[in-house]
Amino acid sequence: MFRVLILLGFTMIFMHLHATGDISKYINMKYSWISYGTIFLLWFLTIAELVFYMTGSDEKEHDHNCDCGCGHSHESPKKWKRRAWYPLYFLPVLTVFFLPVATLDSNIVEAKGFHFPIYDKKDPYSSHQFLQPDTSSFYGEDAYYKMIHKDLKKFSKGDTINLEDEEFLNAMETIYRFPGEFTGKQIKFKGFMYHTKELKDNQYFLFRFGIIHCIADSGVFGMLVQFPDDVSFKNDDWVTVTGEVSTMYYQPFKKTIPIVKVTKVKREEKPDDPYVYRNNQ
Amino acid sequence: MSSSLLQMNTIFISILIEALPFILLGVIISGIIQIFVTDEMMAKAIPKNKFGAIVLASVIGALFPACECGIVPITRRLMAKGVPLYAAIPFMLTGPIINPVVLFATFVAFGNDWKIMIERGLVAFLVSLIVGLILAFQFKTPQVKNEIHVHTASKKMSEKIGEALKHTIDEFFSVGKFVIIGGLIAAAMQTYVKTSTLMALGHGAVSSNIVMMGLSYILSLCSSADAFIASSFRSTFNDSAIIAFLVFGPMFDIKNTLMMLSQFKTKFVFSLFAYVFILVLVLSLLIVH
Repeated sequence: MFRVLILLGFTMIFMHLHATGDISKYINMKYSWISYGTIFLLWFLTIAELVFYMTGSDEKEHDHNCDCGCGHSHESPKKWKRRAWYPLYFLPVLTVFFLPVATLDSNIVEAKGFHFPIYDKKDPYSSHQFLQPDTSSFYGEDAYYKMIHKDLKKFSKGDTINLEDEEFLNAMETIYRFPGEFTGKQIKFKGFMYHTKELKDNQYFLFRFGIIHCIADSGVFGMLVQFPDDVSFKNDDWVTVTGEVSTMYYQPFKKTIPIVKVTKVKREEKPDDPYVYRNNQ
Repeated sequence: MSSSLLQMNTIFISILIEALPFILLGVIISGIIQIFVTDEMMAKAIPKNKFGAIVLASVIGALFPACECGIVPITRRLMAKGVPLYAAIPFMLTGPIINPVVLFATFVAFGNDWKIMIERGLVAFLVSLIVGLILAFQFKTPQVKNEIHVHTASKKMSEKIGEALKHTIDEFFSVGKFVIIGGLIAAAMQTYVKTSTLMALGHGAVSSNIVMMGLSYILSLCSSADAFIASSFRSTFNDSAIIAFLVFGPMFDIKNTLMMLSQFKTKFVFSLFAYVFILVLVLSLLIVH
Protein backbone atom coordinates (compact mmCIF):
# COMPACT_ATOMS: atom_id res chain seq x y z
CA MET A 1 0.00 0.00 0.00
CA PHE A 2 2.86 2.35 0.82
CA ARG A 3 4.13 2.02 -2.71
CA VAL A 4 0.79 3.12 -4.13
CA LEU A 5 0.78 6.11 -1.78
CA ILE A 6 4.36 7.06 -2.63
CA LEU A 7 3.71 6.89 -6.37
CA LEU A 8 0.52 8.88 -5.86
CA GLY A 9 2.49 11.41 -3.81
CA PHE A 10 5.06 11.86 -6.57
CA THR A 11 2.26 12.23 -9.13
CA MET A 12 0.73 14.90 -6.90
CA ILE A 13 4.05 16.79 -6.69
CA PHE A 14 4.19 17.16 -10.45
CA MET A 15 0.47 17.93 -10.78
CA HIS A 16 0.58 20.46 -7.99
CA LEU A 17 3.57 22.29 -9.45
CA HIS A 18 1.99 22.48 -12.88
CA ALA A 19 -1.44 23.45 -11.58
CA THR A 20 -0.13 26.28 -9.41
CA GLY A 21 2.52 27.37 -11.89
CA ASP A 22 5.17 26.99 -9.19
CA ILE A 23 7.08 24.74 -11.59
CA SER A 24 8.64 27.91 -13.06
CA LYS A 25 10.36 28.52 -9.73
CA TYR A 26 12.26 25.26 -10.14
CA ILE A 27 12.98 24.76 -13.83
CA ASN A 28 13.44 26.54 -17.13
CA MET A 29 9.92 26.46 -18.62
CA LYS A 30 11.37 25.55 -21.99
CA TYR A 31 11.69 22.03 -20.58
CA SER A 32 8.31 21.98 -18.83
CA TRP A 33 6.92 19.45 -21.31
CA ILE A 34 9.23 16.83 -19.80
CA SER A 35 7.83 17.21 -16.30
CA TYR A 36 4.32 17.56 -17.75
CA GLY A 37 4.66 14.21 -19.52
CA THR A 38 5.96 12.74 -16.28
CA ILE A 39 2.54 13.35 -14.68
CA PHE A 40 0.96 10.83 -17.08
CA LEU A 41 3.78 8.36 -16.67
CA LEU A 42 3.49 8.50 -12.88
CA TRP A 43 -0.32 8.17 -13.02
CA PHE A 44 0.12 5.10 -15.15
CA LEU A 45 2.61 3.53 -12.72
CA THR A 46 0.42 4.46 -9.74
CA ILE A 47 -2.57 2.69 -11.29
CA ALA A 48 -0.43 -0.29 -12.25
CA GLU A 49 0.88 -0.59 -8.70
CA LEU A 50 -2.67 -0.22 -7.36
CA VAL A 51 -3.78 -3.10 -9.58
CA PHE A 52 -0.84 -5.22 -8.42
CA TYR A 53 -1.77 -4.38 -4.85
CA MET A 54 -5.46 -5.19 -5.31
CA THR A 55 -4.70 -8.50 -6.98
CA GLY A 56 -2.20 -9.23 -4.28
CA SER A 57 0.66 -9.66 -6.69
CA ASP A 58 2.80 -6.68 -5.80
CA GLU A 59 5.23 -7.97 -3.21
CA LYS A 60 3.81 -11.36 -2.42
CA GLU A 61 4.62 -13.01 -5.68
CA HIS A 62 8.19 -11.94 -5.46
CA ASP A 63 8.43 -13.03 -1.91
CA HIS A 64 6.89 -16.44 -2.06
CA ASN A 65 5.56 -17.96 -5.23
CA CYS A 66 7.77 -16.56 -7.91
CA ASP A 67 6.69 -18.61 -10.89
CA CYS A 68 9.84 -18.31 -12.86
CA GLY A 69 11.44 -21.04 -10.90
CA CYS A 70 14.38 -18.93 -9.93
CA GLY A 71 13.68 -19.53 -6.30
CA HIS A 72 14.98 -16.26 -4.96
CA SER A 73 12.68 -15.96 -1.99
CA HIS A 74 13.04 -12.76 -0.10
CA GLU A 75 12.64 -13.46 3.57
CA SER A 76 10.60 -11.15 5.73
CA PRO A 77 13.55 -9.27 7.30
CA LYS A 78 14.56 -8.18 3.83
CA LYS A 79 11.07 -6.99 3.10
CA TRP A 80 11.07 -4.91 6.25
CA LYS A 81 14.48 -3.56 5.44
CA ARG A 82 13.06 -2.39 2.14
CA ARG A 83 10.04 -0.87 3.83
CA ALA A 84 12.23 1.02 6.26
CA TRP A 85 13.17 3.29 3.36
CA TYR A 86 9.59 4.26 2.52
CA PRO A 87 9.35 7.25 4.91
CA LEU A 88 12.23 8.85 2.98
CA TYR A 89 10.08 8.92 -0.15
CA PHE A 90 7.50 11.06 1.61
CA LEU A 91 10.05 13.75 2.41
CA PRO A 92 9.91 15.54 -0.98
CA VAL A 93 6.13 15.19 -1.05
CA LEU A 94 5.82 16.93 2.31
CA THR A 95 8.32 19.69 1.60
CA VAL A 96 6.71 20.52 -1.74
CA PHE A 97 3.29 20.88 -0.17
CA PHE A 98 4.18 22.46 3.16
CA LEU A 99 7.30 24.57 2.69
CA PRO A 100 7.40 27.79 0.69
CA VAL A 101 9.49 27.93 -2.48
CA ALA A 102 12.68 29.88 -1.80
CA THR A 103 14.37 32.25 -4.23
CA LEU A 104 18.08 32.05 -4.87
CA ASP A 105 19.80 35.18 -3.64
CA SER A 106 23.16 36.54 -2.45
CA ASN A 107 23.37 33.72 0.06
CA ILE A 108 23.76 31.29 -2.84
CA VAL A 109 26.13 33.67 -4.64
CA GLU A 110 28.34 33.42 -1.53
CA ALA A 111 28.33 29.65 -1.77
CA LYS A 112 28.59 29.21 -5.51
CA GLY A 113 30.86 32.11 -6.29
CA PHE A 114 30.70 33.83 -9.65
CA HIS A 115 32.73 33.79 -12.81
CA PHE A 116 32.55 35.68 -16.03
CA PRO A 117 32.77 34.15 -19.48
CA ILE A 118 35.90 36.08 -20.36
CA TYR A 119 37.54 34.94 -23.54
CA ASP A 120 41.27 35.06 -23.49
CA LYS A 121 42.49 36.95 -26.54
CA LYS A 122 45.54 34.73 -26.75
CA ASP A 123 43.37 31.67 -27.12
CA PRO A 124 43.20 31.09 -30.88
CA TYR A 125 39.96 29.17 -30.55
CA SER A 126 37.95 31.93 -28.97
CA SER A 127 38.25 34.88 -31.31
CA HIS A 128 40.02 33.94 -34.48
CA GLN A 129 37.31 31.71 -35.85
CA PHE A 130 34.89 34.58 -35.81
CA LEU A 131 37.19 36.76 -37.84
CA GLN A 132 37.97 33.99 -40.24
CA PRO A 133 35.01 31.69 -40.29
CA ASP A 134 36.09 28.38 -41.65
CA THR A 135 33.57 26.98 -44.05
CA SER A 136 32.94 23.82 -42.13
CA SER A 137 29.65 22.30 -42.98
CA PHE A 138 28.97 21.32 -39.40
CA TYR A 139 25.43 22.42 -38.85
CA GLY A 140 25.85 23.58 -35.26
CA GLU A 141 28.76 25.77 -36.15
CA ASP A 142 26.81 27.51 -38.90
CA ALA A 143 23.83 27.94 -36.65
CA TYR A 144 26.06 29.30 -33.95
CA TYR A 145 27.68 31.88 -36.25
CA LYS A 146 24.31 33.08 -37.32
CA MET A 147 23.10 33.25 -33.78
CA ILE A 148 26.01 35.10 -32.29
CA HIS A 149 26.31 37.50 -35.20
CA LYS A 150 22.61 38.17 -35.15
CA ASP A 151 22.94 38.82 -31.43
CA LEU A 152 25.92 41.08 -31.97
CA LYS A 153 24.04 43.03 -34.62
CA LYS A 154 20.91 43.19 -32.53
CA PHE A 155 22.53 44.32 -29.31
CA SER A 156 25.17 46.64 -30.74
CA LYS A 157 22.68 48.40 -33.01
CA GLY A 158 21.85 51.92 -31.88
CA ASP A 159 23.41 53.63 -28.91
CA THR A 160 21.12 52.42 -26.15
CA ILE A 161 20.71 48.81 -25.16
CA ASN A 162 17.63 48.17 -23.08
CA LEU A 163 17.94 44.65 -21.77
CA GLU A 164 14.75 42.71 -21.29
CA ASP A 165 14.79 39.56 -19.20
CA GLU A 166 14.30 37.29 -22.21
CA GLU A 167 17.52 38.41 -23.85
CA PHE A 168 19.57 38.95 -20.71
CA LEU A 169 21.79 35.87 -20.99
CA ASN A 170 22.37 36.21 -24.74
CA ALA A 171 23.21 39.86 -24.37
CA MET A 172 25.61 39.29 -21.47
CA GLU A 173 27.37 36.58 -23.43
CA THR A 174 27.68 38.88 -26.43
CA ILE A 175 28.97 41.78 -24.35
CA TYR A 176 31.62 39.64 -22.64
CA ARG A 177 32.61 38.20 -25.99
CA PHE A 178 32.88 41.48 -27.86
CA PRO A 179 33.39 44.12 -25.15
CA GLY A 180 34.97 46.47 -27.69
CA GLU A 181 31.79 46.67 -29.75
CA PHE A 182 29.85 47.95 -26.79
CA THR A 183 32.24 50.44 -25.22
CA GLY A 184 30.66 53.86 -24.98
CA LYS A 185 27.12 52.61 -25.52
CA GLN A 186 24.27 53.16 -23.12
CA ILE A 187 22.90 50.11 -21.36
CA LYS A 188 19.94 49.61 -19.05
CA PHE A 189 19.24 46.44 -17.08
CA LYS A 190 17.72 45.10 -13.90
CA GLY A 191 19.20 42.86 -11.25
CA PHE A 192 20.06 42.47 -7.60
CA MET A 193 23.00 44.10 -5.87
CA TYR A 194 25.93 42.10 -4.60
CA HIS A 195 28.93 43.59 -2.86
CA THR A 196 32.23 41.91 -2.05
CA LYS A 197 35.12 43.17 0.00
CA GLU A 198 37.33 43.45 -3.10
CA LEU A 199 35.06 46.19 -4.42
CA LYS A 200 35.19 49.87 -3.59
CA ASP A 201 32.19 51.51 -1.93
CA ASN A 202 30.96 52.90 -5.23
CA GLN A 203 31.20 49.55 -6.99
CA TYR A 204 28.70 46.70 -6.92
CA PHE A 205 27.90 43.67 -8.97
CA LEU A 206 24.45 43.68 -10.52
CA PHE A 207 23.44 40.06 -10.94
CA ARG A 208 20.71 37.73 -12.13
CA PHE A 209 20.53 34.01 -11.63
CA GLY A 210 20.54 32.36 -15.05
CA ILE A 211 18.85 28.99 -15.38
CA ILE A 212 19.82 26.34 -17.91
CA HIS A 213 17.56 23.40 -16.98
CA CYS A 214 16.71 23.79 -13.31
CA ILE A 215 17.78 26.03 -10.47
CA ALA A 216 20.30 23.43 -9.32
CA ASP A 217 22.37 24.26 -12.40
CA SER A 218 21.90 28.01 -12.19
CA GLY A 219 24.78 30.44 -12.34
CA VAL A 220 25.18 34.13 -11.64
CA PHE A 221 25.36 36.47 -14.62
CA GLY A 222 25.73 40.21 -14.71
CA MET A 223 28.18 43.08 -14.68
CA LEU A 224 30.14 45.26 -12.35
CA VAL A 225 28.44 48.62 -12.00
CA GLN A 226 30.29 51.71 -10.84
CA PHE A 227 28.58 54.76 -9.34
CA PRO A 228 30.02 58.28 -9.47
CA ASP A 229 29.88 58.53 -5.66
CA ASP A 230 29.79 56.06 -2.81
CA VAL A 231 26.37 54.52 -2.38
CA SER A 232 24.95 52.20 0.22
CA PHE A 233 22.90 49.34 -1.09
CA LYS A 234 22.33 46.08 0.67
CA ASN A 235 22.86 42.71 -0.96
CA ASP A 236 19.70 41.55 -2.73
CA ASP A 237 18.39 45.10 -3.27
CA TRP A 238 16.77 45.11 -6.69
CA VAL A 239 17.54 48.05 -8.99
CA THR A 240 17.51 49.10 -12.62
CA VAL A 241 20.66 50.91 -13.67
CA THR A 242 21.34 52.98 -16.76
CA GLY A 243 24.87 53.80 -17.72
CA GLU A 244 27.71 53.65 -20.18
CA VAL A 245 29.61 50.46 -20.97
CA SER A 246 33.31 50.70 -20.27
CA THR A 247 36.06 48.27 -19.28
CA MET A 248 38.15 47.85 -16.17
CA TYR A 249 40.95 45.62 -14.96
CA TYR A 250 39.53 43.41 -12.22
CA GLN A 251 42.29 42.24 -9.93
CA PRO A 252 40.72 39.09 -8.41
CA PHE A 253 40.29 37.60 -11.91
CA LYS A 254 43.41 39.26 -13.32
CA LYS A 255 41.36 40.09 -16.41
CA THR A 256 39.81 43.13 -18.01
CA ILE A 257 36.06 43.00 -17.70
CA PRO A 258 33.29 45.14 -19.13
CA ILE A 259 31.64 47.41 -16.54
CA VAL A 260 28.82 49.96 -16.47
CA LYS A 261 29.43 53.54 -15.38
CA VAL A 262 26.08 54.34 -13.83
CA THR A 263 24.27 57.57 -14.70
CA LYS A 264 20.85 56.66 -13.36
CA VAL A 265 19.67 54.14 -10.78
CA LYS A 266 16.15 53.22 -9.77
CA ARG A 267 15.10 50.95 -6.92
CA GLU A 268 12.75 48.12 -7.88
CA GLU A 269 10.57 45.57 -6.22
CA LYS A 270 11.82 42.02 -6.49
CA PRO A 271 10.21 40.76 -9.71
CA ASP A 272 7.73 37.87 -9.74
CA ASP A 273 10.16 35.84 -11.77
CA PRO A 274 13.61 36.76 -10.52
CA TYR A 275 15.44 34.41 -12.87
CA VAL A 276 16.56 34.71 -16.47
CA TYR A 277 16.63 31.68 -18.74
CA ARG A 278 18.76 30.25 -21.48
CA ASN A 279 16.47 30.03 -24.46
CA ASN A 280 18.60 28.93 -27.34
CA GLN A 281 20.12 25.47 -27.44
CA MET B 1 12.81 28.14 9.30
CA SER B 2 16.05 29.68 8.09
CA SER B 3 16.10 30.93 4.55
CA SER B 4 19.16 28.89 3.62
CA LEU B 5 17.37 25.70 4.64
CA LEU B 6 14.43 26.67 2.43
CA GLN B 7 16.84 27.38 -0.42
CA MET B 8 18.41 24.00 0.07
CA ASN B 9 14.99 22.36 -0.06
CA THR B 10 14.13 24.27 -3.24
CA ILE B 11 17.37 23.16 -4.91
CA PHE B 12 16.70 19.60 -3.71
CA ILE B 13 13.20 19.58 -5.22
CA SER B 14 14.48 21.03 -8.48
CA ILE B 15 17.11 18.28 -8.71
CA LEU B 16 14.36 15.70 -8.20
CA ILE B 17 12.10 17.29 -10.80
CA GLU B 18 14.93 17.34 -13.27
CA ALA B 19 16.17 13.81 -12.59
CA LEU B 20 12.93 11.91 -12.03
CA PRO B 21 11.68 11.87 -15.64
CA PHE B 22 14.99 10.42 -16.79
CA ILE B 23 15.11 7.90 -13.98
CA LEU B 24 11.59 6.78 -14.87
CA LEU B 25 12.70 6.42 -18.47
CA GLY B 26 15.72 4.42 -17.30
CA VAL B 27 13.68 2.01 -15.17
CA ILE B 28 11.08 1.59 -17.93
CA ILE B 29 13.77 0.70 -20.47
CA SER B 30 15.26 -1.60 -17.87
CA GLY B 31 11.87 -3.27 -17.36
CA ILE B 32 11.48 -3.74 -21.10
CA ILE B 33 14.95 -5.25 -21.43
CA GLN B 34 14.24 -7.56 -18.53
CA ILE B 35 11.21 -9.09 -20.18
CA PHE B 36 11.73 -8.76 -23.91
CA VAL B 37 15.45 -9.25 -24.43
CA THR B 38 16.66 -12.80 -24.06
CA ASP B 39 20.07 -14.09 -23.07
CA GLU B 40 20.45 -15.63 -26.51
CA MET B 41 19.92 -12.29 -28.25
CA MET B 42 22.58 -10.71 -26.06
CA ALA B 43 25.02 -13.56 -26.49
CA LYS B 44 24.71 -13.21 -30.25
CA ALA B 45 25.16 -9.45 -30.19
CA ILE B 46 28.31 -9.36 -28.08
CA PRO B 47 31.59 -10.14 -29.87
CA LYS B 48 33.52 -13.08 -28.42
CA ASN B 49 36.71 -11.07 -28.56
CA LYS B 50 37.02 -9.04 -25.33
CA PHE B 51 38.56 -6.00 -26.94
CA GLY B 52 35.91 -6.00 -29.65
CA ALA B 53 33.22 -6.20 -26.99
CA ILE B 54 34.67 -3.23 -25.10
CA VAL B 55 34.92 -1.08 -28.22
CA LEU B 56 31.41 -2.02 -29.31
CA ALA B 57 30.01 -1.27 -25.84
CA SER B 58 31.68 2.15 -25.77
CA VAL B 59 30.33 2.95 -29.22
CA ILE B 60 26.81 1.84 -28.31
CA GLY B 61 27.05 3.93 -25.13
CA ALA B 62 28.06 6.84 -27.33
CA LEU B 63 25.02 6.45 -29.55
CA PHE B 64 22.66 5.91 -26.66
CA PRO B 65 21.26 9.22 -25.40
CA ALA B 66 21.04 8.59 -21.67
CA CYS B 67 21.86 10.67 -18.66
CA GLU B 68 23.92 9.55 -15.72
CA CYS B 69 20.88 8.86 -13.54
CA GLY B 70 18.99 6.70 -16.01
CA ILE B 71 21.87 4.58 -17.20
CA VAL B 72 22.73 2.72 -13.98
CA PRO B 73 19.58 0.55 -13.86
CA ILE B 74 19.85 -0.07 -17.61
CA THR B 75 23.45 -1.23 -17.23
CA ARG B 76 22.53 -3.47 -14.33
CA ARG B 77 19.74 -5.05 -16.35
CA LEU B 78 21.95 -5.65 -19.36
CA MET B 79 24.35 -7.49 -17.07
CA ALA B 80 21.52 -9.68 -15.83
CA LYS B 81 21.03 -10.63 -19.48
CA GLY B 82 24.58 -11.80 -19.77
CA VAL B 83 26.53 -8.70 -20.84
CA PRO B 84 29.94 -9.10 -19.20
CA LEU B 85 31.17 -6.52 -16.70
CA TYR B 86 33.98 -5.30 -18.95
CA ALA B 87 31.49 -4.37 -21.68
CA ALA B 88 28.67 -3.09 -19.46
CA ILE B 89 30.79 -0.56 -17.59
CA PRO B 90 32.23 1.18 -20.71
CA PHE B 91 28.62 1.48 -21.91
CA MET B 92 27.68 3.08 -18.60
CA LEU B 93 30.63 5.48 -18.73
CA THR B 94 30.28 6.77 -22.29
CA GLY B 95 26.47 6.84 -22.32
CA PRO B 96 25.99 10.11 -20.45
CA ILE B 97 28.87 12.00 -22.13
CA ILE B 98 29.25 11.05 -25.75
CA ASN B 99 25.86 11.60 -27.31
CA PRO B 100 24.48 14.16 -29.72
CA VAL B 101 22.57 16.18 -27.11
CA VAL B 102 25.46 16.53 -24.68
CA LEU B 103 28.10 17.21 -27.33
CA PHE B 104 25.98 19.86 -29.01
CA ALA B 105 25.37 21.52 -25.64
CA THR B 106 29.13 21.49 -25.05
CA PHE B 107 29.76 23.01 -28.45
CA VAL B 108 27.31 25.85 -27.86
CA ALA B 109 28.38 26.48 -24.27
CA PHE B 110 31.96 27.01 -25.32
CA GLY B 111 30.96 29.32 -28.11
CA ASN B 112 31.80 27.79 -31.44
CA ASP B 113 34.58 25.78 -29.92
CA TRP B 114 35.31 22.43 -31.51
CA LYS B 115 38.30 21.92 -29.28
CA ILE B 116 36.50 21.42 -25.96
CA MET B 117 33.78 19.28 -27.51
CA ILE B 118 36.21 16.94 -29.27
CA GLU B 119 38.51 16.70 -26.28
CA ARG B 120 35.58 15.91 -24.00
CA GLY B 121 34.46 13.08 -26.25
CA LEU B 122 37.97 11.78 -26.82
CA VAL B 123 39.00 11.71 -23.16
CA ALA B 124 35.69 10.07 -22.19
CA PHE B 125 36.08 7.41 -24.88
CA LEU B 126 39.67 6.60 -23.90
CA VAL B 127 38.80 6.44 -20.20
CA SER B 128 36.00 3.97 -20.87
CA LEU B 129 38.16 1.82 -23.18
CA ILE B 130 40.99 1.56 -20.67
CA VAL B 131 38.60 0.92 -17.77
CA GLY B 132 37.01 -1.86 -19.85
CA LEU B 133 40.40 -3.46 -20.49
CA ILE B 134 41.39 -3.32 -16.82
CA LEU B 135 38.07 -4.82 -15.75
CA ALA B 136 38.38 -7.61 -18.34
CA PHE B 137 41.58 -8.77 -16.67
CA GLN B 138 40.83 -7.99 -13.07
CA PHE B 139 37.32 -9.28 -12.47
CA LYS B 140 36.05 -12.65 -13.56
CA THR B 141 32.69 -12.36 -11.79
CA PRO B 142 29.91 -9.81 -12.43
CA GLN B 143 30.49 -7.85 -9.16
CA VAL B 144 26.78 -7.19 -8.72
CA LYS B 145 24.69 -7.40 -5.59
CA ASN B 146 21.77 -9.86 -5.43
CA GLU B 147 22.11 -11.69 -8.69
CA ILE B 148 18.96 -11.06 -10.68
CA HIS B 149 17.51 -14.15 -12.27
CA VAL B 150 16.04 -13.89 -15.66
CA HIS B 151 12.55 -15.03 -16.45
CA THR B 152 12.89 -17.45 -19.30
CA ALA B 153 9.49 -19.08 -19.31
CA SER B 154 7.61 -18.11 -22.43
CA LYS B 155 4.40 -16.29 -21.62
CA LYS B 156 1.53 -14.50 -23.21
CA MET B 157 2.15 -10.93 -24.33
CA SER B 158 -0.18 -9.46 -21.71
CA GLU B 159 1.61 -11.35 -18.95
CA LYS B 160 4.94 -10.16 -20.26
CA ILE B 161 3.81 -6.55 -20.18
CA GLY B 162 2.55 -7.00 -16.63
CA GLU B 163 5.91 -8.46 -15.63
CA ALA B 164 7.79 -5.62 -17.29
CA LEU B 165 5.66 -3.10 -15.39
CA LYS B 166 6.25 -4.85 -12.11
CA HIS B 167 9.99 -4.82 -12.71
CA THR B 168 9.81 -1.16 -13.63
CA ILE B 169 8.17 -0.29 -10.33
CA ASP B 170 10.50 -2.53 -8.31
CA GLU B 171 13.45 -0.86 -9.96
CA PHE B 172 12.03 2.59 -9.28
CA PHE B 173 11.88 1.80 -5.58
CA SER B 174 15.31 0.26 -5.54
CA VAL B 175 17.06 3.31 -7.04
CA GLY B 176 14.64 6.04 -5.96
CA LYS B 177 15.88 6.29 -2.40
CA PHE B 178 19.42 6.89 -3.57
CA VAL B 179 18.30 9.64 -5.90
CA ILE B 180 16.57 11.31 -2.96
CA ILE B 181 19.59 10.99 -0.66
CA GLY B 182 21.96 12.06 -3.44
CA GLY B 183 19.76 15.04 -4.28
CA LEU B 184 19.71 16.08 -0.62
CA ILE B 185 23.48 15.89 -0.28
CA ALA B 186 24.05 17.74 -3.56
CA ALA B 187 21.60 20.48 -2.53
CA ALA B 188 23.31 20.83 0.86
CA MET B 189 26.70 21.10 -0.84
CA GLN B 190 25.42 23.79 -3.20
CA THR B 191 23.92 25.79 -0.35
CA TYR B 192 26.49 25.42 2.39
CA VAL B 193 29.88 24.63 0.87
CA LYS B 194 31.66 27.62 -0.55
CA THR B 195 33.00 26.87 -4.00
CA SER B 196 35.75 29.39 -3.34
CA THR B 197 37.21 27.38 -0.45
CA LEU B 198 37.39 24.36 -2.71
CA MET B 199 38.97 26.37 -5.49
CA ALA B 200 41.53 27.89 -3.14
CA LEU B 201 42.92 24.37 -2.77
CA GLY B 202 44.60 24.34 -6.09
CA HIS B 203 45.69 26.31 -9.09
CA GLY B 204 48.63 24.20 -10.16
CA ALA B 205 48.53 21.91 -13.19
CA VAL B 206 47.52 18.78 -11.30
CA SER B 207 45.74 20.30 -8.33
CA SER B 208 43.41 22.46 -10.43
CA ASN B 209 42.26 19.36 -12.34
CA ILE B 210 41.59 17.56 -9.06
CA VAL B 211 39.69 20.56 -7.72
CA MET B 212 37.48 20.69 -10.80
CA MET B 213 36.82 16.96 -10.59
CA GLY B 214 35.83 17.34 -6.95
CA LEU B 215 33.55 20.21 -7.89
CA SER B 216 31.81 18.26 -10.63
CA TYR B 217 31.35 15.37 -8.20
CA ILE B 218 29.62 17.41 -5.52
CA LEU B 219 27.59 19.62 -7.87
CA SER B 220 26.06 16.48 -9.46
CA LEU B 221 24.90 18.36 -12.56
CA CYS B 222 23.01 16.83 -15.44
CA SER B 223 25.47 16.07 -18.24
CA SER B 224 23.54 18.15 -20.77
CA ALA B 225 23.71 21.23 -18.53
CA ASP B 226 27.19 20.98 -17.06
CA ALA B 227 28.98 22.48 -20.05
CA PHE B 228 27.33 25.85 -19.42
CA ILE B 229 28.56 25.86 -15.84
CA ALA B 230 32.00 24.69 -16.93
CA SER B 231 32.31 27.47 -19.51
CA SER B 232 31.88 30.07 -16.78
CA PHE B 233 34.96 28.65 -15.06
CA ARG B 234 37.06 29.38 -18.10
CA SER B 235 38.25 32.64 -16.60
CA THR B 236 39.65 30.80 -13.57
CA PHE B 237 40.76 27.42 -14.88
CA ASN B 238 42.63 26.15 -17.90
CA ASP B 239 41.07 23.87 -20.52
CA SER B 240 42.64 20.75 -19.06
CA ALA B 241 40.87 21.26 -15.73
CA ILE B 242 37.63 22.08 -17.58
CA ILE B 243 37.82 18.78 -19.48
CA ALA B 244 38.49 16.93 -16.22
CA PHE B 245 35.29 18.53 -14.86
CA LEU B 246 33.29 17.65 -17.98
CA VAL B 247 34.41 14.03 -18.13
CA PHE B 248 34.51 13.07 -14.47
CA GLY B 249 31.15 14.55 -13.39
CA PRO B 250 28.92 12.51 -15.71
CA MET B 251 30.86 9.33 -14.89
CA PHE B 252 30.81 9.83 -11.13
CA ASP B 253 28.77 12.17 -9.00
CA ILE B 254 26.96 11.94 -5.66
CA LYS B 255 23.71 10.65 -7.13
CA ASN B 256 25.05 7.93 -9.35
CA THR B 257 27.69 6.74 -6.86
CA LEU B 258 24.86 5.94 -4.46
CA MET B 259 22.93 4.28 -7.26
CA MET B 260 25.96 2.17 -8.21
CA LEU B 261 26.47 1.19 -4.58
CA SER B 262 22.92 -0.13 -4.54
CA GLN B 263 23.58 -2.32 -7.56
CA PHE B 264 27.25 -3.28 -7.45
CA LYS B 265 29.55 -4.61 -4.75
CA THR B 266 31.01 -1.83 -2.64
CA LYS B 267 34.60 -2.87 -3.27
CA PHE B 268 34.00 -2.84 -7.00
CA VAL B 269 32.48 0.66 -6.95
CA PHE B 270 35.53 1.94 -5.10
CA SER B 271 37.96 0.33 -7.59
CA LEU B 272 35.95 1.75 -10.48
CA PHE B 273 36.00 5.17 -8.83
CA ALA B 274 39.78 4.97 -8.43
CA TYR B 275 40.33 3.92 -12.06
CA VAL B 276 38.09 6.60 -13.48
CA PHE B 277 39.57 9.25 -11.20
CA ILE B 278 43.17 8.45 -12.11
CA LEU B 279 42.46 8.01 -15.82
CA VAL B 280 40.49 11.25 -16.14
CA LEU B 281 43.24 13.10 -14.30
CA VAL B 282 46.11 11.64 -16.33
CA LEU B 283 44.40 11.79 -19.73
CA SER B 284 43.09 15.32 -19.24
CA LEU B 285 46.61 16.44 -18.40
CA LEU B 286 48.22 14.56 -21.30
CA ILE B 287 45.72 15.30 -24.05
CA VAL B 288 44.47 18.77 -23.29
CA HIS B 289 46.73 21.79 -23.45
